[in-house]
Amino acid sequence: MQTSSNNSANLTKLTRLDTIKKTLFVGKEFYHFPELASTNDYAIKFSSKSKPSEGTVISTYKQAQGMGQAGSKWESEPDKNISMSLILHPKFMVARDQFILNQAISLGVLDFVKNYISSSAKIKWSNDIYISDKKVAGILIQNTLVSRNIQSCIIGVGININQTIFKSDAPNPTSLKLEMGIDFDLDELLEMLCWFIEKRYLQLMANSFEKIKVEYLDNLYRYMEDALYQIPDGQVFRGRIIGIEEFGKLIIESKNGIQSFDTKQIKFII
Amino acid sequence: MKFSEIQELVKLINKSNLTEFKLKEGDFEISIRTKNYGKVRAKDIQALQSSVPQVVSVPAPMQAMAAAPAPVAAAPAPIPAEAPASENKNTLLIKSPIVGTFYRSAGPDKENYVGIGSIVEVGTVVCIVEAMKLFNEIESEVSGKIVKILVDNESPVQYDQPLFEVEPI
Repeated sequence: MQTSSNNSANLTKLTRLDTIKKTLFVGKEFYHFPELASTNDYAIKFSSKSKPSEGTVISTYKQAQGMGQAGSKWESEPDKNISMSLILHPKFMVARDQFILNQAISLGVLDFVKNYISSSAKIKWSNDIYISDKKVAGILIQNTLVSRNIQSCIIGVGININQTIFKSDAPNPTSLKLEMGIDFDLDELLEMLCWFIEKRYLQLMANSFEKIKVEYLDNLYRYMEDALYQIPDGQVFRGRIIGIEEFGKLIIESKNGIQSFDTKQIKFII
Repeated sequence: MKFSEIQELVKLINKSNLTEFKLKEGDFEISIRTKNYGKVRAKDIQALQSSVPQVVSVPAPMQAMAAAPAPVAAAPAPIPAEAPASENKNTLLIKSPIVGTFYRSAGPDKENYVGIGSIVEVGTVVCIVEAMKLFNEIESEVSGKIVKILVDNESPVQYDQPLFEVEPI
């Protein structure tokens, strides 16, 4: 379901939504801001001060200081893109199982992206969404752990929707508009994004861990393809992704044999 | 499992028609038999005829609670007992719940969450452990004064590795 572009002039800065309606529990508690420095920062502060219900959504279309992973900036032109944070309390899982949560959420965002484009999209390990070799969405998960349990989980999602010019040094961005040539309605997409993520979270709650792992691999960027990777000392090597370890490490086969890497130990050459 | 969650559980089971309930979560195990259990196996029991659910077998920290006449009633929360003892008998340890990288602050330009001498309470964020770009704020389960930081900033930590030594006040 794609939105037509002929009403792009009506794309308002403020959301028309007062709550997310399509879902069971995601976005029933809903806070939209015309502008916000970072939805994740806001969600973390909010969670520490009050007890937001499971599924609370904080969103903005104008995120001033979006956080990318490892401190990199997520460039977002005002009123063109969706930035949202979802607050979850995954009491059914222990902290050390958190990679499966990451996999489920990544699949949710991927499902969303696929719904609007005609080409194929993939998950770039561990949780970026790529259309061919370009990044369209990123996820940043921040948990609060008490003992071995996840007390609260803040899922930040940033998706490039209607932005067409990217000025910064962000390596290889794209947007839904760049892919499809039309403008999208942000409110409508935000609602759908919540719906797609909720669906995958419900799947996780129903204990379908194995199914999620299989689907994650099926949708993994460069899975079983030969490609170039770089290790921290600068050395570049050719290898292929052959799997993911239980706690999320990437398994690569190369002439050096089979090795596994965490996110600091390897870089994709794209 | 938190004391309040056990309370909640006991209440729920009490309301249900269950005769027996067992839960295992990691190395924590709880087994609860209700008054109905006594009814079903009347022959087997004489001691289990109390009108409240009885906590039959629980790990050490919970025994104090089990001994209380009514588990639902307010009892002093045995929180410090949950914390693993360090080599020094008088201090408590905060351990890493996951494998990952230990960070003392939220970012390079941010202040450390805690330092030696900091007073922490239950729920105080003491550090971040990052794994696969998932960032985990670790909340203290104990209260007291930090007397030792056992891991260097940005170093790898193992599951259950002690991170801080805390002296109860």
